[in-house]
Amino acid sequence: MTLNIKDLPQQDLFGPGNAACRGCGAAIAGRQAMKALGSRTIITIPASCMATLSGNNQRTAWSVPFYHTLFEIAPAVSAGIRASLDAQGIKDVNVVSWAGDAGTADIGFQSLSGAAERDDSIIHVCYDNEMYMNTGGQTGSQTPMYAMTSNQKQGKRTGKKDMLAIMVAHGAGYVASASISHPLDLIEKFKKAAAHDGFSYIHILAPCYRGWEIPTDQSVATARRAVECGLWELFEVVEGKKVRTHEPSFLPVADYLLPQGRFKKLSTEQIQEVQDSVNSHYGRGEAKQ
Amino acid sequence: MTVSLLTGSEAAAYGAKLAKIEVLAYYPITPAFPAMEKISKFIEDGEMNTRFVRVECDHSALAAALGASLAGSRTFTVTNSQGLLYMTEVVYHTAGMRQPVVMAVANRALSAPHSRFPEQGDAISQDASGWIQLFCENNQEVLDTTLQAFKVAETCRLPAMVNYEGYIQSHTQEEVDVPDQAKVDVFLPFKRVSALDINNPQGLNTVTSPEFYMDYKYRQNEAMEQALGLINDVAGEFGRAFGRDWSGVIEGYKMEDAEHAVVAMGSSVSDARIVVDALRAEGKKVGLVKVRSFRPFPTQALRAMLKNVGLVTVLDKNIIFGAGGALGNEVKSTLYGVSSVPVKNYIIGLGGRDVGPEEIRQVVGLAEERIKQEIGYEWFGL
Repeated sequence: MTLNIKDLPQQDLFGPGNAACRGCGAAIAGRQAMKALGSRTIITIPASCMATLSGNNQRTAWSVPFYHTLFEIAPAVSAGIRASLDAQGIKDVNVVSWAGDAGTADIGFQSLSGAAERDDSIIHVCYDNEMYMNTGGQTGSQTPMYAMTSNQKQGKRTGKKDMLAIMVAHGAGYVASASISHPLDLIEKFKKAAAHDGFSYIHILAPCYRGWEIPTDQSVATARRAVECGLWELFEVVEGKKVRTHEPSFLPVADYLLPQGRFKKLSTEQIQEVQDSVNSHYGRGEAKQ
Repeated sequence: MTVSLLTGSEAAAYGAKLAKIEVLAYYPITPAFPAMEKISKFIEDGEMNTRFVRVECDHSALAAALGASLAGSRTFTVTNSQGLLYMTEVVYHTAGMRQPVVMAVANRALSAPHSRFPEQGDAISQDASGWIQLFCENNQEVLDTTLQAFKVAETCRLPAMVNYEGYIQSHTQEEVDVPDQAKVDVFLPFKRVSALDINNPQGLNTVTSPEFYMDYKYRQNEAMEQALGLINDVAGEFGRAFGRDWSGVIEGYKMEDAEHAVVAMGSSVSDARIVVDALRAEGKKVGLVKVRSFRPFPTQALRAMLKNVGLVTVLDKNIIFGAGGALGNEVKSTLYGVSSVPVKNYIIGLGGRDVGPEEIRQVVGLAEERIKQEIGYEWFGL
């Protein structure tokens, strides 16, 4: 059964009144995900842009229960919420911890790893803008090699930590990558995660115009180029079995990298190095060993 | 009613069992871990209908307990020392979220240097956290206070710590009367409050601006002040129901005509009772004030209790470096401007250094000898 965009619910359970910047990849991801998750969802968000833009004082941009947690604890809090719902006999509720790349891969990693290992019945979402944007764009473990950040003007010297592989290694029952440029693919994956009885992990590429130094109307197009050049592979791993959910057209990686200010200092050799990594991953072209 | 030989850890576990907690979250640490093992056993044996979230660290332990509490469950956790320090961020946050999580703390010294032995510095480190902090002198009080803590916490919507000392209490058996479940159910009914209610969506802990933040803090503090009266009321109600009166926020022992008051909290209180009895037998007018509630601090009750004494000696199993003992400082602050009675503050028993009745008797003697000397605080037993 293939999803059709016309069949998606009209109602936006996240969005109206949010304080996101124009073209915010995180907010787009939230809106898309809620089309799949529906109103029987409790969402916890640790310190991040998403938590900040989700409400202030007595206002909330969520039509479902939303809790802005401490930075490190969204998966642990969600595990506690699930335990309480179980104790109350409430079974039809999705419990989602929705974190940025820091709240997932770095400061939030310990509690995420714990929840995954225990196979708590929660969905953890990483919306990944590849740097610490809520504090102005510093380097984190999800920042790719050579990207310039506010505290590494010469570019990052190490690569992006492979969170998807790490979560697969936890034995999680459902693991998927997604991109805001492919909403139906994203929504389908959220439906599967919601149907999975156990721990699920979805990692969404969600560009940030400020950190990536792109025009505000280029977030979705940039994410699409990341997918099409092969740098952001769309796939899912169901009970350990990996399936690619979109075949990229293998746009040159330069077409993805060069329009972004954060990669403007890349040399020809560095671009070729990135291209080789893609070729090698997909087993195509003449990748250098 | 069943009288059993129980350690303090087991007494805390029985408290949680009788309170019918729905969710336990816990990460093992010495010497708190036997309480968790006992509850886990109750769960495995089908004696408790409780979900155990087997978290990967102390920080997540309180986080999971908090999540369960926000979703509407009665929740419990146990920790001490490094575990308590590690979860400190969540300790403050839980109080701000106004969730009535109850936490047993088997008080232990803080590193460095590494020590696994008793002292109250861990609890004292959380004195500004917004948690109710109750201290128990024996294992019966650990069980009874756990039940009372839930009732107080759920009434004023604040979290509460039940403190008992590592090893001295956590690993030492005493006779403990385990109350009947039916009587506990009457004393401690459960009314579910779900901040995260799927049928009534709300945003929690949203970004708060200066127009609101201070008022939230005012209300949080107001609840702490309200807890003073509640702790007294609940102790009274407990006494009427179970025949054991723990006398609320403070207790005076032989204070009616006392000229010299010893102020203490935790296991030292039991030892100090023995000392007071012995000195009374020798005709010395010494009394004891047990501080049961360190937070909120019972300022008015303590002032009234110490109104007519000529000397106050405060025992502290903690040190605030460069400032003295935490209880000593509170007593001085309580009496400042309303009394000129000398207050002698002794730092005792850190990191498990033994302090029993003989040592406390020496401290009382030292304080009397030095009544005229202006000493901020002194170390005893070096």
